[in-house]
Amino acid sequence: MTAILVLLTIGFASPAADVSAITTNVRLLQQPPMRLDSTYGCLACHADKRASFNQGVHSERGINCADCHGGDPSVTTLPAAHRGRFVGAPDKVATVSLCGSCHSDPNAMRQYGLPSGMVAEFETSQHGVLLLQRHDQKAPTCTDCHDAHTIRRPDDARSTVYPTNIPQTCGRCHEDKTLMAPYGLPTDQVEKFTRSAHGIALLQKQNFAAPTCLGCHGSHSALPPATTEVANVCSRCHVQVGREFEVGPHGEAARSGKLAGCLGCHGNHDTERVPATQIAATCSKCHAPGTRAQTLGDAIQQDVTQAAQDLQAAAAAVAEVARAGRQTGDMEFRYQTARTAYLQINEVQHHLDTDRLEELTRRVRSISRDLRATAEATAERNWEHKLWLVPVWFLSLSWLALSWLALRRMEREGSRL
Amino acid sequence: MTQFVADLRASTDAGLLGVARYFGLLYGPIDASLPIDQALRKSLRYRLAPHVGWRHALGGIAYLLFLLMVVTGVLLAVYYRPSAQEAFPSIQHIVSGVTLGWLIRDVHVWSASLLVIVVLAHMARVFFAAAYRPPRETNWLVGILLLVIVLAFGATGYLLAWDQSAYWTVTGALNAFEELPIVGGITVGLLRGDPIVSGATLGRFFAGHVILLPWLALAFLAFHFRMVRRHGVAPPVGDANPTGPGRRFFPNHLLRSFMVGIFALATVISLAILFPRPLGVQAQPGQAPATILSTWVVVDVSRALVYYMGGWGFALFSLLGLLLAALPLFDRGTERSLRHRPAATAIGLTFFVGFLGLWIAGRGLRTPVLEQPSIEVSAPGLPAQDPSPVDSTANGGGRP
Repeated sequence: MTAILVLLTIGFASPAADVSAITTNVRLLQQPPMRLDSTYGCLACHADKRASFNQGVHSERGINCADCHGGDPSVTTLPAAHRGRFVGAPDKVATVSLCGSCHSDPNAMRQYGLPSGMVAEFETSQHGVLLLQRHDQKAPTCTDCHDAHTIRRPDDARSTVYPTNIPQTCGRCHEDKTLMAPYGLPTDQVEKFTRSAHGIALLQKQNFAAPTCLGCHGSHSALPPATTEVANVCSRCHVQVGREFEVGPHGEAARSGKLAGCLGCHGNHDTERVPATQIAATCSKCHAPGTRAQTLGDAIQQDVTQAAQDLQAAAAAVAEVARAGRQTGDMEFRYQTARTAYLQINEVQHHLDTDRLEELTRRVRSISRDLRATAEATAERNWEHKLWLVPVWFLSLSWLALSWLALRRMEREGSRL
Repeated sequence: MTQFVADLRASTDAGLLGVARYFGLLYGPIDASLPIDQALRKSLRYRLAPHVGWRHALGGIAYLLFLLMVVTGVLLAVYYRPSAQEAFPSIQHIVSGVTLGWLIRDVHVWSASLLVIVVLAHMARVFFAAAYRPPRETNWLVGILLLVIVLAFGATGYLLAWDQSAYWTVTGALNAFEELPIVGGITVGLLRGDPIVSGATLGRFFAGHVILLPWLALAFLAFHFRMVRRHGVAPPVGDANPTGPGRRFFPNHLLRSFMVGIFALATVISLAILFPRPLGVQAQPGQAPATILSTWVVVDVSRALVYYMGGWGFALFSLLGLLLAALPLFDRGTERSLRHRPAATAIGLTFFVGFLGLWIAGRGLRTPVLEQPSIEVSAPGLPAQDPSPVDSTANGGGRP
């Protein structure tokens, strides 16, 4: 009996192998073994750098203290250890050239697939201009964004330049009011970004296609886009919207510098869609009421609001039919067609082309009507199910009444006995 | 023709009627020495005990509901497909593509809930009348076993719908059960057959629901009926025992049973027509829904217990039920009126009234998923969202 039970247990339960063992193994793999070289002299005194000596991409490649700082790691006593080409702690400007001594060398970087133009890019950035030309000691150098010693790969979640960590890394300085005051820079960018569509996509949904600060400003060549550059920056990702915008009247205004590109209507750090109900109000920020442009804004708002309502009604119709138990494959297919048209409306409205807008709105509306009609037909048919109550209760009540009469007669006649 | 009937009569053993008696359709003893038609007539003249009344109909209604479940269940099995890929679409087809499929399914769903309620009402009747006392304690225990079988039927059938609510209710229940020391892990491993609820689980539950449990139920039902015939229906509490000959099985008792049956059937069908169970969303093992709805009375009660009183509330209530079930083993008194059985009355009232109250409290209770699956199937950081087919595609359907 026990043997059968054991066999059954093994036979049926073996796929349910111990899951916790697997997760433990994964954790062990993530933890690199400690590598401590006791012959490396620097660590005898600089014990606080032992962790850095073991971690990060430089440690993995065997680039140790002496490769940047100089000195002699084979001895453990001063002054012998600090002899030779000893750098010590380099200042901010020297740091750039020290890092650049390897990272600007294409022959050294090629094998790792790393770009070698980072120092040149840095020189063009506002950070580089402040540090290298004006010798502003508050401007950042390489080690302010990348840690000085524990430099991790950008795809390591512990790295300061891992996508979701970048807003924090930039914010370390750019959220500091006293630090930013002399430059007249605002300090609410990170806060705004976190609430924006980009921030939600990146930080909450872990969507790494969404831009971090670097997506629009660049990394080593960090600068805000110029007025005429904004539309180009945004349309790198928002391709279709960008194309529609370029050929429309606003595109021309943006090219001549009269309109700050996309920022005319949308925020920069707090990027968000303009709600459908706010389209006309957004137009009136520049266009006076009663003008042709404002009338156009009203028309666009009406089309977009209408299409949004129709699409919502279409979604509700599909859900209703699904709840009623019908297969909705064909309806969902049609819904997707309506949704495609709706997404095209989002693009076409940047062209301010009302003819195409109206055509797309009509397409959404027509599909929405069809889907609603299907949903109503289903609801109608399900309501008709209730008509079955009539024959059910008619038969039941008549049988009950007849039985009751028969029973009474029987009991009166004494057939109970 | 006459010759044919005569031949048939002569060649059919009266003992065949024993089958009908076995399944509780005939009460009177079968005289196997008579030809079959005379044996039937003799059996139909059987008189019931004089104190048998309408209140004894509950057991019969439960049996009727069981038979209704068998009939509708067989019809559903014609189109249902027990695989993770096809289960949900096959139910969609039953509901929308098969003639009267919607009615068959909803009658099956409603009978499942009513069966539990009627069985508990039957149990309460027996309990408060102290009819579980010797010599009927065996039948009380068989009855408890039948209740367990009914619960197992419901628990296995619940998963077959293979929608989000069913999937995650079963996941939560199995995860909770897995925490039980010693037996939990092995039992859940056997039932689930996979680290998560999957097609393997569906196959196990389906086999249990349509093959194992029906035969078990029939065997124990027959035993239950046999015990009723052996010891008779317990006389009523008090001295006002009606005397004299009881009703005849035919036609009086049968007609009264017919009336009860018609009323019960009409009620079930009406409930099924008026309150159909809407179809949820197909089970998605990678994504828990924001809320889960319940459609079976026992799940309602369990969720109300867990929601309002936590896991200990559930354990305590289960213990109360166990105490109730085991009472015949301890309760050896002879006093049957409720006034003289305060402890038993208190336990019974707490359990039965509590069950009803919890059912009402649990209906429409939208609780979040009880527990996450034991391994992470979804990508970390993804928020759990209601994955209705439209919602998942319409997140771009916001504002432009």
